[in-house]
Amino acid sequence: MTSAPASSAPPPSALTPQQRMPRGPALLLAIAFHLVIFGAAFLLPRLFDRPPPLRKPIIAHLVAQGRPRDPRLLPRKDSPPPAAAATAAPAPAASTRTAAPSAAQRREPTRRELMDRALARAAGKASPESREPPDPERAGTPEGSVQGTAATAEEGDAYFTAVHDAILEHYVVPSVISERERLYLAATVLAYIGPDGRILKHDFQKKSGNPFFDQALELAIQQTKLPPPPPDLARSLRNDGVVLNFRP
Amino acid sequence: MTLALLAGLLLAAPERPVIDLSGGRVQPLPMAIARPYPALETSAAVEATLVQDFDRSGLFKLLDPASFLTPANEGFTGIDFSKWQAIGAQALVKMDCQSLPADVKCEMRLYDAARGQELLHGTYTAARTAPRQIAHRFGDDVVKFFTREPGVFQTHIAWVRETDADKQIMVSEWDGSDPQVLTGGSINLLPSWAPDGKTIAFTSFRGGAGAHLYTVDAISRQVRPLALMGDFSTGAIYSPDGTRLLFSSSQSDNTDVYVAKADGTGARRITDSRGIDISASWSPDGKRAAFVSERAGTPQIYTMAADGSEVRRMTFQGNYNQEPAWSPKGDLIAFSGRDEHRVFDVYTVAVDGGKVTRLTQNQGTNEKPAWAPNGRYLLFSSTRNGKRQIWMSQPDGSNQRPVTSEKQGASDPAWGPLPK
Repeated sequence: MTSAPASSAPPPSALTPQQRMPRGPALLLAIAFHLVIFGAAFLLPRLFDRPPPLRKPIIAHLVAQGRPRDPRLLPRKDSPPPAAAATAAPAPAASTRTAAPSAAQRREPTRRELMDRALARAAGKASPESREPPDPERAGTPEGSVQGTAATAEEGDAYFTAVHDAILEHYVVPSVISERERLYLAATVLAYIGPDGRILKHDFQKKSGNPFFDQALELAIQQTKLPPPPPDLARSLRNDGVVLNFRP
Repeated sequence: MTLALLAGLLLAAPERPVIDLSGGRVQPLPMAIARPYPALETSAAVEATLVQDFDRSGLFKLLDPASFLTPANEGFTGIDFSKWQAIGAQALVKMDCQSLPADVKCEMRLYDAARGQELLHGTYTAARTAPRQIAHRFGDDVVKFFTREPGVFQTHIAWVRETDADKQIMVSEWDGSDPQVLTGGSINLLPSWAPDGKTIAFTSFRGGAGAHLYTVDAISRQVRPLALMGDFSTGAIYSPDGTRLLFSSSQSDNTDVYVAKADGTGARRITDSRGIDISASWSPDGKRAAFVSERAGTPQIYTMAADGSEVRRMTFQGNYNQEPAWSPKGDLIAFSGRDEHRVFDVYTVAVDGGKVTRLTQNQGTNEKPAWAPNGRYLLFSSTRNGKRQIWMSQPDGSNQRPVTSEKQGASDPAWGPLPK
């Protein structure tokens, strides 16, 4: 028996397996590829669904008209700005030098007076109560505003300051909540603001645990009328909203 | 490349603004007190007292009964909460009182009107002559429910009635009602309650040998000497556990603070400065005391350990601060201070941090602050309406109300302890 010469061997079949890559590196490459695919499938949606990063705008207020107070003197009571005086609960310690009338002596406003005040407020005019002269010894600067609420100036974000002040006007803390409980009460609300300034919807991201406090926040948000956001903020405020952190 | 893409997506995400809101206006909770049915004289008295207590407390805004939409005979079952919500009520009180031969018995209930839930109920009985007690007890239960702190509606206060001839130690309910004279003639000042609520120490000029310390039994009105030492002794105040006294006494022209046993014996001087040390007030744990000292040239508020060591100056603003009263919660010391207009007003200073807050302003002279035992109110004297009278307020200066309406004046308030 003789063996056939190599040159005369038939051509290899197309089905004959080609020379393969070594198994080890191929396996590693396949594992890495699958890890990337599955990793991307797992992580990408999370990245896209992530809540937007948070940004704290600077809330600034008008500097009050007044004069700097000598720190060696005993402090004076804060007197509210005139516009707020119409809506804020009247503090019995009046800023006038005359005796304050007791609650029983204070005359209830007539329906007509209430209507006039509401109209004046809606028209942005000061109500009759707000025409009282400001406290001449109020802390502030001589160049400050009668409507000012801050003693010193700082730069701030105009729209978010307006949002802050508008909500604060309706933000009421029920006095039945003890001072001690007020120290740690906190709630977070995510509010979506429409292009016309309406609060389209709101969600409690974190409730305070005190039903009366949470109820007061609900009321404050329902009653608040916001100014329309500027064009550069309108879309994000409608789609992503604004986080409101409430503390008493 | 993939990483660059992801980073780009992340950076392109919009920022969500965060606004921090604090400093909401503290306002009373709107409450409706349904008219009792049937309308008996005793139930009307309970209702009237409850209205007074809740209104004065500053915790509740009582809604006008004229606005109620439900019939008086609505009762406890089948309450139409939507009608109470419609008038803005968040809390609702209902009562049903019966007059028994010797007593009054009332079933009292508190509801959350917004959620339509019963929050509290109980049956309260009192002598027919004292229906106010039912309102005070239920009122305190309601306050405790909401605030988790005791109410003060059952407490009593002591104060001084001023007349042309003398000054008498008086006791009344917390709102000034039912005033009773405890002492006879002479000049009697600065009452201070023992923690058991039975004894009141005071300073008196009786005996004709200057001012000294006495006690009076709040029930029997029996007066006893407490400490008759030095040229004068004044301003006795019991420690929170009732075992010790702080007071000021002058010997050899130097006034200092002394500590003694509750019966006045074993007095020991605990301050030793050349200026006047006076008007001591215990901290609520009995370990420290606030007092006034002139050691820095002007009267200022200081604190010290109960043995006189570890002296700390608390006030640095103003040049005449006096009459410290340490809050039962321990965080504030109330005092009266003279401002640049030379008028005394009431202030508080934070024990930690020293922040001074003004409570009264431009309303006459306001002095001698005294805390309620739950720390939610202060009494003080004020001349805002002419004659000096006792007023009360909350610690931030809000909700100021008159307590006394004495013909010739009232001063030196002291709030009694909570009922045991």
